[in-house]
Amino acid sequence: MTPAIEMKGITKDFASTRVRANDHVDFSVEPGEVHALVGENGAGKTTLMSILYGLIKPDSGEIFIDSQKIRIDHPNDAIQHGIGMVHQHFKLVPSFTVAQNILLGMEPTQAGLLNQQQENELVAALAEKYNLPVDPTARVRDLPVGMQQRVEILKVLERKAKILILDEPTAVLTPQEVNELVTVIRGLSRLGYTVIFITHKLVEVMSVADRVSVMRGGKMIGTKKVSETSIPELARMMVGREVLLRVKKKEMQRGDVVLEARDISISDVNGLAAISHVSFQVHRGEIVGIAGVSGNGQTELVEAISGMNSLDGGEILFKGKIIDEASVGERRDMGMAHIPEDRMVVGLNLQTTLDENLIVSRYDDSQFSRYGFLLMKTISEFAEKVVRAFSIAAARPGEGIATLSGGNLQKVVVGRELSGDPAFIIANQPTRGLDVGSIEFVHKTLVEERDKGAGILLVSVELDEVMALSDRILVLYRGRIQGELDAATATEEEVGILMAGGNLQDLKYAQRADQQELRS
Amino acid sequence: MNNQRWKKLLDAILVPVLAVLSGLVVMGILILTLNKPVLESYAILFSNGFGCKEYGNCIFLTTLERATPLILTGLSAVVAFRSGMFSIGQEGQYLLGAAAAAWLGYAIHLPPILHAPVLLIAGMLVGAAYGWFPGVLRVKLGVNELLSTIMLNSIAALIVEYLVQFPMRADTSAVAHSPVIDESAQLMSFFPGSKWGVGFVLAVIAVIVVYIYLWRTKSGYEQRMAGQSRRFALFGGILSDRAAIRAMLISGALAGLAGAIEVMGVHRRIMTGFSVGLGFDGLTTAILGQVHPFGVFIVAILFSGLKLGAQIGLQLNLNIPRELGGTIIGFIILFVAAGKLYEENIVRAREWATRRRSSRLKRESG
Ligand SMILES: Nc1ncnc2c1ncn2[C@@H]1O[C@H](COP(=O)(O)OP(=O)(O)OP(=O)(O)O)[C@@H](O)[C@H]1O
Ligand SMILES: [Mg+2]
Repeated sequence: MTPAIEMKGITKDFASTRVRANDHVDFSVEPGEVHALVGENGAGKTTLMSILYGLIKPDSGEIFIDSQKIRIDHPNDAIQHGIGMVHQHFKLVPSFTVAQNILLGMEPTQAGLLNQQQENELVAALAEKYNLPVDPTARVRDLPVGMQQRVEILKVLERKAKILILDEPTAVLTPQEVNELVTVIRGLSRLGYTVIFITHKLVEVMSVADRVSVMRGGKMIGTKKVSETSIPELARMMVGREVLLRVKKKEMQRGDVVLEARDISISDVNGLAAISHVSFQVHRGEIVGIAGVSGNGQTELVEAISGMNSLDGGEILFKGKIIDEASVGERRDMGMAHIPEDRMVVGLNLQTTLDENLIVSRYDDSQFSRYGFLLMKTISEFAEKVVRAFSIAAARPGEGIATLSGGNLQKVVVGRELSGDPAFIIANQPTRGLDVGSIEFVHKTLVEERDKGAGILLVSVELDEVMALSDRILVLYRGRIQGELDAATATEEEVGILMAGGNLQDLKYAQRADQQELRS
Repeated sequence: MNNQRWKKLLDAILVPVLAVLSGLVVMGILILTLNKPVLESYAILFSNGFGCKEYGNCIFLTTLERATPLILTGLSAVVAFRSGMFSIGQEGQYLLGAAAAAWLGYAIHLPPILHAPVLLIAGMLVGAAYGWFPGVLRVKLGVNELLSTIMLNSIAALIVEYLVQFPMRADTSAVAHSPVIDESAQLMSFFPGSKWGVGFVLAVIAVIVVYIYLWRTKSGYEQRMAGQSRRFALFGGILSDRAAIRAMLISGALAGLAGAIEVMGVHRRIMTGFSVGLGFDGLTTAILGQVHPFGVFIVAILFSGLKLGAQIGLQLNLNIPRELGGTIIGFIILFVAAGKLYEENIVRAREWATRRRSSRLKRESG
């Protein structure tokens, strides 16, 4: 069979960061297959796909479509050849409706006038055809991420793409949305579309892809049939060494209570109750995991504890002191660290240098400033130290961080938050968008902090992560704690039931009923 | 590591310079259509904007004198913009600072070592207060600072006009003006016949101080971080509101200082129509100077020189209407606004150069 796409000897150097993002990469995709592209953060996946889509010009290399050598200088060329791309960060107009976004630039007109009605009908028909239900009249800003992504996909399909590139489509989705997307991808592949999708989650690779290509350090390491490989093998190919998919933990050395929430209630941005009457404690030397489907109050809980948001009722004690009135800075000075869920907007300032990002929580320390002046040399030495200690590739003191890959950006955040010997750490989705090697690193670092005596509140929508790291699990459901489990004995089934709003009694009854059925 | 910083600085200077060159090319074309000598007009432009006939008698000194208030109002805008406050209140702060200095210049009498500093400080305080107000409105009530400062500019213009027409008016001459300030309150100039003097030195000091403040102090760091990303600042424990108000105080003080210096060093009094769009020019200077103190310094001098050369020089020597001079400056602004064009090409040129260098290295080693 002639490949749908063939890329040969693609090389790309970025002068500004002195990085060879693609090094003589060969890549080919069969028509109608689902092809996964995996690799560590910064391996060059996005660069390779941006070259295919005409966003980046390669220094050398050739591209063939159906054995025809072609030039792609601009996304318009790519679209002409039936290639469409959905980016890691969506590019929709938030204030436009779904229909307006999908038809942007190709609206049907009558005598030069737009016809809203006709637009909506067109989009409804499109959605029907591909079995991707959307409401054409809804405004994009009101849609959940999963829906926005669907709009992006429809937009690409409307432009007659036969080859779809999805860059980390699942990184921002909830597990349910991931399942829906998997169904969509399978459906498209059945209709004869070719799908290339980038992901860090090897489980997804195994469940949807036909073949998988692995990149490392800008090079193509190899392509495998999914049926002939395994997760550990892929992880090894990605990282170049054996990877611990589940960290080893020592016996917990539980200390005093470091953080306590007493009957707290918090409202969300719209003033609706997000957390109601929640109480819990975190001890030193312990990881408390908060499990739950996203949107059940996790964001609000984290913001209230870190001081970014205020409480409606109740109180929070840190090291035995009530901190309801304390500012973010005061809490941080007392030894609180915070790895936020959104590193692009909250955790980092992409417009400034590595140094200035690393001191944001501690520029006030006598270590970093004196008489109101920043001690530039000490700061730059500190940056050097963090870069080395956390092996942040491609980051240099005094230089910008905007072009770092996701994993390295997260390492900057983690490096900053964990380098001050914190007494209490909030880790909110700490491994979102990270490759297996980086996940292993973040997990190991968190466990080390726990063993050094820090109390950790781990918030994650990844059930695996909560199960693997926590000593104790609290399940959050609709702003309340639905149940508490000892991580050593908890089963995924139990956590799952609680996450869905059920309780453990139900589970026991159900199991007993099952057993009775078996017996009879 | 400093390599990158130098590159950035070079870009900050290169972009306005390239834009000015493009503007000059357009000027050549315009002058050609008027059937006037192109090369001669360039020569006149430069000799009238940047030239020097003999030691101590330079048009360039006038350019530097005209650049002084522009540098300070430009810095005022830089401090506000870098801190995320889109304040265009420089005009009003400048006027009130000038009025305060003009009044104290004749109303009180002090020995020279005291009088001038008192006026400078008064100008800064009044400007700061007039910057503080929209800052507080923004932080406490969410009033957009762009709108409030536009309004406050009009109010300040009316207040100063009233002051000059009535309470501060010196005599009944056709153009209303205040009494001349005491000699003890005047800023020295360096050469007789020119007004280029201590004021310019103060502006240069301000350039350096603003640079150090923004990039080397804790407060400046807070302001820039809050300006670039409020979420990030909140997350890191920076009090953004406080930083914003501080930015408005400093921004106002710089514009007020500009007004005081203009009174003390140039006019020695305040009169009706005192500000001819200086606040707005300061704003333009800040944007053309890449919102950087050093950029502002260079652009302010370029801008003043071009104004003198293109508007006055060309008119006097070649009978080219001064509006054409204004048009040329307008084009330059346009080209800088399209600065991305230059930036991209600079980056591309640099990438090309490194690629050549690396391939040459490869060839030599291989
Ligand atoms: N515009 C750019 N300028 C300079 N360097 C860049 C640019 N874009 C990417 N890079 C660098 O090229 C390398 C490859 O980046 P790329 O985004 O392709 O990685 P990736 O495999 O998609 O990573 P991730 O999984 O984190 O998204 C990284 O080291 C990155 O820092
Ligand atoms: Mg990527």
